[in-house]
Amino acid sequence: MPIYSFYIFDRHCECIYTKQWHEAERYQSAAAATARRASITSAPDGVSLPQAPGRLSVQDDAKLIFGVVFSLRNMVRKLSGPDDSFISFRTNGYKLHYYETPTNLRFVMLTDTKMSNLRAALHQIYVNLYVEFVVKNPLSPVEHPGGVGVGVEMFEYGLERFIKSIEAE
Amino acid sequence: MSTTKHARIGEEVWKSRVDKVNAELVTLTYGSIVQQLCKDLEGDYTEVNKQLDKMGYNIGLRLIEDFLAKTNMGRCNGFRDTAESIAKIGFKIFLNITPTVTNWSADNKSFSLVFEENPLADFVELPDDGRAQNELWYSNILCGVLRGALEMVQMQVEAHFASDVLRGNDSTEMRVELIRIIDDELPPGDE
Repeated sequence: MPIYSFYIFDRHCECIYTKQWHEAERYQSAAAATARRASITSAPDGVSLPQAPGRLSVQDDAKLIFGVVFSLRNMVRKLSGPDDSFISFRTNGYKLHYYETPTNLRFVMLTDTKMSNLRAALHQIYVNLYVEFVVKNPLSPVEHPGGVGVGVEMFEYGLERFIKSIEAE
Repeated sequence: MSTTKHARIGEEVWKSRVDKVNAELVTLTYGSIVQQLCKDLEGDYTEVNKQLDKMGYNIGLRLIEDFLAKTNMGRCNGFRDTAESIAKIGFKIFLNITPTVTNWSADNKSFSLVFEENPLADFVELPDDGRAQNELWYSNILCGVLRGALEMVQMQVEAHFASDVLRGNDSTEMRVELIRIIDDELPPGDE
């Protein structure tokens, strides 16, 4: 099942890593969803349907996603106590998976709607890839403004392999 | 979480998930760092303490991630829980020692860690220049580590040594005080 994109946000709310896969498929499914909606709501007057939704830049996407997970997380905590955190949500175009560490690092993944829960997988990425190759890399800075030091070769390689293994499941 | 549970987690992680290195290698490496600092700073022990604390702080900022990855711990349930986790899990998995948590202040905001053993200080004698005994906190790097690590989990603390067997005191004691809980940062332009 396809995985569309992956984001890491640091404790300063900044997006320090992002990666996209299956661009085309994702927009096909998004466009299909739009088309379905449109066919219900718009009058059949022969006006051509929108082909694709307005594209945002990757940075704007990341900002929006952060806004969503940040608000959802706070809302969940207000509703049921500080130990609770939200795990995922689903639209008819994608499913968003969320994992945060006690150090306020936030991992977000967008996948196909039928994907099972990936919280454990995000935890694995943190433990086996992020901590091993980014935190323990002596040449990488402690803070990663603008993503400095996160997208290192070992991390990218490990992530790519891990993503493939999840998609193959 | 109960005290015994902390001890069990510490033991378990130490046994199964930690790469070990020779303790003497650690002792000697740390010793050469301190010695070099004393030399470079021409015996200004106050400055040596400060530098050790700073080095520890930078270690702590990263070490916390390794701690969380290895132990899979969630957030602590109050500062007492934090203290137990530091002593029974943190010190256990990284140094294989378990300092005693004691001397809680009435407001539960500060406590002491008493070290019965300290691998950093094995074989060590402080310089016999009449000042080191009163000015140098040999293991001061540990204060920095705690300060750095706790800062990353939203706790600003102040840590310092209160006594050290190397100075001729009866015990080695570190005092840790919670200054404040750091609020989560908000996204820019989101008031």
